Amino acid sequence: MLPAGRITTVLGPNGAGKSTLLRLLAGSLRPTAGSMSWEGKPLDTRSAQWRARLGVLSHQTHLYLPLTARENLAFHARMRGIETVDLNEALDKVGLSDRAHDRVEGFSRGMRQRLALARTLLHDPEVVLLDEPFTGLDARASRLLEGVLRGLRDGRRSVVLVTHALAEGLALADHLLILVRGRIALDTDAGALDPAGFAEEYHRVVDEAENPAESHR
Amino acid sequence: MKSRHAEPAWMRVVVAVAVKDLRIEFRTRARSFTMAGFVVLVGVLFNYSIDQTLVRPQEIASGLTWITLILSGLIGVGRTFTIEARDGAFEGLLLTPAPRDAIYLGKVIANFLLVYAIVLLTVGVFGIFFHLDYGNHPLALLLCLAAGTLGFVALATLFGALTASTSLGESLLPILLFPLLVPMVVYGASASGRLLAGRPITEVMGQMRMLTAFAVLALGAGAALFGQIVED
Repeated sequence: MLPAGRITTVLGPNGAGKSTLLRLLAGSLRPTAGSMSWEGKPLDTRSAQWRARLGVLSHQTHLYLPLTARENLAFHARMRGIETVDLNEALDKVGLSDRAHDRVEGFSRGMRQRLALARTLLHDPEVVLLDEPFTGLDARASRLLEGVLRGLRDGRRSVVLVTHALAEGLALADHLLILVRGRIALDTDAGALDPAGFAEEYHRVVDEAENPAESHR
Repeated sequence: MKSRHAEPAWMRVVVAVAVKDLRIEFRTRARSFTMAGFVVLVGVLFNYSIDQTLVRPQEIASGLTWITLILSGLIGVGRTFTIEARDGAFEGLLLTPAPRDAIYLGKVIANFLLVYAIVLLTVGVFGIFFHLDYGNHPLALLLCLAAGTLGFVALATLFGALTASTSLGESLLPILLFPLLVPMVVYGASASGRLLAGRPITEVMGQMRMLTAFAVLALGAGAALFGQIVED
């Protein structure tokens, strides 16, 4: 379930299948079993219609490094059939309007990540998939991203956020999933969790899922 | 929801991909410098390795040109998707609803312009080194090479996409590609050889038609299969 106007945070240890889940939703991987549905209908994640609704920010920035920030966004807009888009506004939102005509290869990791975020949201997607979006961001850029995510929630977008950052993940989440070894170990409303004791709760859930025999002793 | 679900216009995608690839090449010169260097080196080596008192360069120039076209083209086209793989740019492109056949044709156009520019350089370099006489039909010769280049690029772009995701990568590309290029080389080298020998155009019309048919078939097959290859 990816309800509109909610942020679903997916947590889990390395190898839990968090990125795989996003890649399945994005259509980069085909499921070997099971099925997906959207709005009550079977979902073809490789259809142009689904991809038009989707915005994906992954580990990699998906940017062309020899192109400028503006050229990257303009190219992406054309690939999505967007005729009228204010690229200056898109760059301004992520604090890169003064670097619009600079090549991306000269950008820091954090600047690339911000530009990738602008590219992800350029077509105003209904469903936004974010894989470790805080990686490489400084405190200011992290706050900017948090603001963007809250704006997506207010704009009734469905957001799936995969992260290792427990505190940030929980703070933003409406819904929380903990994946362990490809299975859901916890599926709950984020409001039901106590932020102060969440780290301890997270480790307990992961340990129980990884060592079920020991947890029953 | 006000999300923009426009279907990207097919022709706009073709043009945008071609312009993007050419712009990247113009800025990095990653492929063109290597290809041009290869052509000049081949010209120098052939110049010293062929005893021009025993062999008339005019008679073997056609074969040398086609071999150089394919080898230099492999250097260039083989790296198309290597460049795309940096920072996951191609994966990002595939996450858009852009038609896959339009992406393919955009890349073919950019690769064709790049490789054909190198073919023209080859013709110039060989002309200088071997004092070639391009005969009565230089335009027909260039058309023949253009058809061959298009067929080559259409297949090499398709197979480049196929091999880019494998660990063998660029080394696998010629192994897969060369057998399929045999008909093109046979007809192309024959047609350009006759044109260099000063034979009438009517004598090579059959080969030219076969070359064009090969290019059209390769383009059609590439456009039809590219989506399957890159998605899986």
